[in-house]
Formats: sequence, C-alpha cells, structure tokens
Amino acid sequence: MQLDWLLHPLLSQINTGVVVLDAQYHVVFFNQFIARRADIELAKVQGQPIDKVFTDLPLAWLRRKFDSVLNLQVPAFSSWEQRQYIIKLPHLRPLSSDSRYMAQNCSMLPLTAPDGMSRYIVLLIEDATDAYVYQQQLQQSVVQLEQANRTDGLTGVFNRHYWQQQLGYEIQRAQRYQHPLSLLLFDLDKFKDLNDHYGHLGGDFVLIELSKVIASLLRDTDLLGRYGGEEFGIILPETGLTGAMQVANRICDKVAQHKMVFNQQGIKATVSIGVVSYTEQTVDELIQYADTALYSAKRQGRNRAVAYQPGLEAAIKKIK
Amino acid sequence: MTDLAFSELQRDCLQELINVAMGQASDKLARYLDTFVHLQVPAIALVDAAELPQHFASRYQQQCATLVSLGFFGDSGLRGETIMLYQLDNVGVIAQLLGYSDDSASEAEMLTDISSVLTTTFLNGLAEQLENSFSYAAPRIISSRDDNFGQKLAYSAEQWQLALQVDIRYQLTDFSFDCDMILLIPGEAVLRLRQILDSILADF
Repeated sequence: MQLDWLLHPLLSQINTGVVVLDAQYHVVFFNQFIARRADIELAKVQGQPIDKVFTDLPLAWLRRKFDSVLNLQVPAFSSWEQRQYIIKLPHLRPLSSDSRYMAQNCSMLPLTAPDGMSRYIVLLIEDATDAYVYQQQLQQSVVQLEQANRTDGLTGVFNRHYWQQQLGYEIQRAQRYQHPLSLLLFDLDKFKDLNDHYGHLGGDFVLIELSKVIASLLRDTDLLGRYGGEEFGIILPETGLTGAMQVANRICDKVAQHKMVFNQQGIKATVSIGVVSYTEQTVDELIQYADTALYSAKRQGRNRAVAYQPGLEAAIKKIK
Repeated sequence: MTDLAFSELQRDCLQELINVAMGQASDKLARYLDTFVHLQVPAIALVDAAELPQHFASRYQQQCATLVSLGFFGDSGLRGETIMLYQLDNVGVIAQLLGYSDDSASEAEMLTDISSVLTTTFLNGLAEQLENSFSYAAPRIISSRDDNFGQKLAYSAEQWQLALQVDIRYQLTDFSFDCDMILLIPGEAVLRLRQILDSILADF
C-alpha cells in the first residue's frame, strides 16, 4: 500500500513543531504548527539563515547543539526546565498562564538525505506550557508550605522548631568566625491574669499585638520566635551583651508604653527579659542561661531585663 | 523467573562489541572536540540490578555525585536506559571542553548535554554493531548535589532486571576524568540481546 500521501497531512496537523535546517543552518522546511504560531510563510523565508527567520534566538547556544548533531550524528535535547523556549512562539493558554511564550521541549536530530551525503538537522518542538504552568503553581505551593512550616500560626513570628534550629546555625557561625551573638528570652508578665480578665481571645490579641511591636524594633537579621505559650526568644547575631541589653531595655520600654484596645477596653502589658551572650555554650545551655536570667527578672519585680552572669542560679536559690 | 545469565561466549562477544563501539566513540569525540581522546577498554560486568544502589552508593560515598538518565529504544524489542554517574568536580572541566566557557548554560543543561553526547555517541556505535539503531529520549538529571543518591538509584534500578555496568575512563590530552556508565536492560530485552549475540557468534 502506498502511504506517501499520509506524510503531508500528518506533518501539517501534528501537534509538534517541525523545523528542518541544512548543514549551514538555513531553513529548509517547517510545518504548519510553526507557520501558524510564528505567523510566517515557508515560501517567503525558505533558504534563509535560521536567525533571520526567527528573531531573538540563542544563537551561540544553538550552534553548539547543532554542531554536535552534525559532527557526531547524535541527537541533542533541550528541556523547558533549563531553557524555557528556543523559538519565541505564543501558546494556547494566554489567560491561565503568566508566561508570554510557549515553554518548549526540543529535540534536535541528525538526518541524512537519500543521496547519503547531504546532512540536515530536524528541530522538533513540543509545547510544554501546561507542565510549565503546573510547575510554577507547585513551586508557589512549596514556598507557601515552607513558610507555613516555620511560622507560628497565631503571631506570625517563627515557630519554636525553626527558631531553635536557627539558633543552632547562628551558634555555629558565631563560633566559626568568632563573632558575638546574644540571645533574649522574654515572657509576658502575668499573662494568666490577662487571660482571666479579658478571656483567651484577649490574651491572643495581646500576643499578636506585642509580636508586631517587638518585631518592628528589630533588625532584619534578628530572629524572633515563639518559644511556647507566652514565652518568646530573639536571636541577635553580631551583638554582644551591651548591645543586647540595650535592645532588651528598649523592648521593655516600648511594650510598657504601648496602649492596646481590645473590645473597647484598654490593655497594658509588660515583659520580663533574660539576656545572655554567647561564650561557647551549647544551644541548650544558652537557652537555660537565658531562662535563668528571665526568672531572675521576674523575681526582681518584672518589666525589666536582666543579664545572665555566672552565679545567678545560686543567687536565685537564696531568694527562694 | 527466566534465567537471564549470559554464557561465557555471549559475554565475551558483548565485551568485544562494546570495545568496538567505544573505539568508534573515542574517534568521533576526538574529532568533534579537536583534542586527543582515549577511552580505555571498558570493564564490563553484568550485575543484578538490585545490587546496584548499594554498590554505587559506597563507591561515590562522601562525594558530590550526579546521575543522568537517558532512555533508548531500538528495533525488535531492544531497549534500556543508561545512567551516567559523575563526580560534580569533574563537570566544570568537561563543560569547558565542550565549549561552555561562557555561562550561558546552567549546570543542569551542561550535565544533560555532556551525558547525551557521551552516551549516544557510544550507543550509536553499539547499535551499529548489533545491526540495530536506537532512538533516544531526552536526558534527565535524576539526582544531583544534595539528593539522596542511593535512594534515587534504587528507584531507577527497581524497574530493571539486568544491569550492565560499564566503567569508562575518558582520557584527554590535558586531563582525564572517570565516570561510570550503567546500561540498565529489562528482562525481555536481555533475552533479545542474547539472541542477537548468538546469531553474531553463529556467523563466525
């Protein structure tokens, strides 16, 4: 059975772009897929160099691919994941995609004419815009998930797990480069009373409000996290004890001055802060020292910052 | 399960065909790269695909290894997948050689390009020896940098019954680099390959 008649309609209707080039990279043929999308007529451009027919081609890159196809007689490939497109063509999802051009998977194959001498390159272009769009959506979801995974749902600051992990990294960094590092642990004073008086929603409101106030006092590189309940931690990279005490005192002042209104009722809150600076402690030791200093700040009457110093534990025991 | 083992004759025959294909590949690559390329006679070993992940995980331990896969199809049911394994340290040098001195291409693209050039040059030769011809799927990076290398290889190897492990050492004028190529071949294709080897042997 003679099937040659099939080839032309197949090439026209196939949902793959077909471009054939000669060994000088001049356009010999392209099918309807390309003609319609690029809005060019084959008869008008046949025999012209490929870069004259299609604009903005990555020519040096293409030549390298084409050279290997011709010289080694092996296929070459290009994926939309690495290069979104080779030939700028529109795609059929202009509304549901944020990309202007068709994402393309391309194969470049060697072809020899029946004379056994003339060599050609077939460039096959497949529309991968759908995959591209799904990938974009997936990436966005992953970014959102990563964010959710390190954020405290109520206050929007870092959650304990992420924050503590970062503390570990910052300690390693401080040790490696011999840079200062400080840690603040703070606690809302008499939070139980707040909850009892304004209800849990009121308590939550205060936590959210104060997280915002305190975050606004910090540098971009400082890391604020919710350690648990009404207890928070702040990692201060590149900061020694003096600087950390300044930050802590500023937080105490600002929080005490901050007026909040919940259900038409004014609420005032204060925080107590334990401050410690890094001197070769482990993560757990550092947190424990900050906690001791925080405890001491509570014992000394709250709404204040206390720096950890050796012997503080014993002093607290005596007060008990 | 069908016995997929090769007889000694079949194995020698395959080794010979691979040697010839390698020779052709190194000649082509040398002319293309315009430098002297020497591909040593590759050591081949037929291994149970299930053992592969362990083998390579220990071999590439502590190193930044990369896996690139490329599927191939031939006539009469001959098909398989090649996996190229490299250390990432090597990649920069090869990339330079292939003309990637400008940074217009990503690392991923260099890896797939290099892999496809190296494997298809060799496989085209092998297909010719087997009086067949192969078509190829686009190469894909299945593991790079931080990924769990052994696990990725285990996923790929699960699908295949027989693995033909070919250790290749590329030596060029100015430098040399090692990489491993694994040909993974499914059971039916192994049977087909043995038939082809037998018919080649019968012709001698």
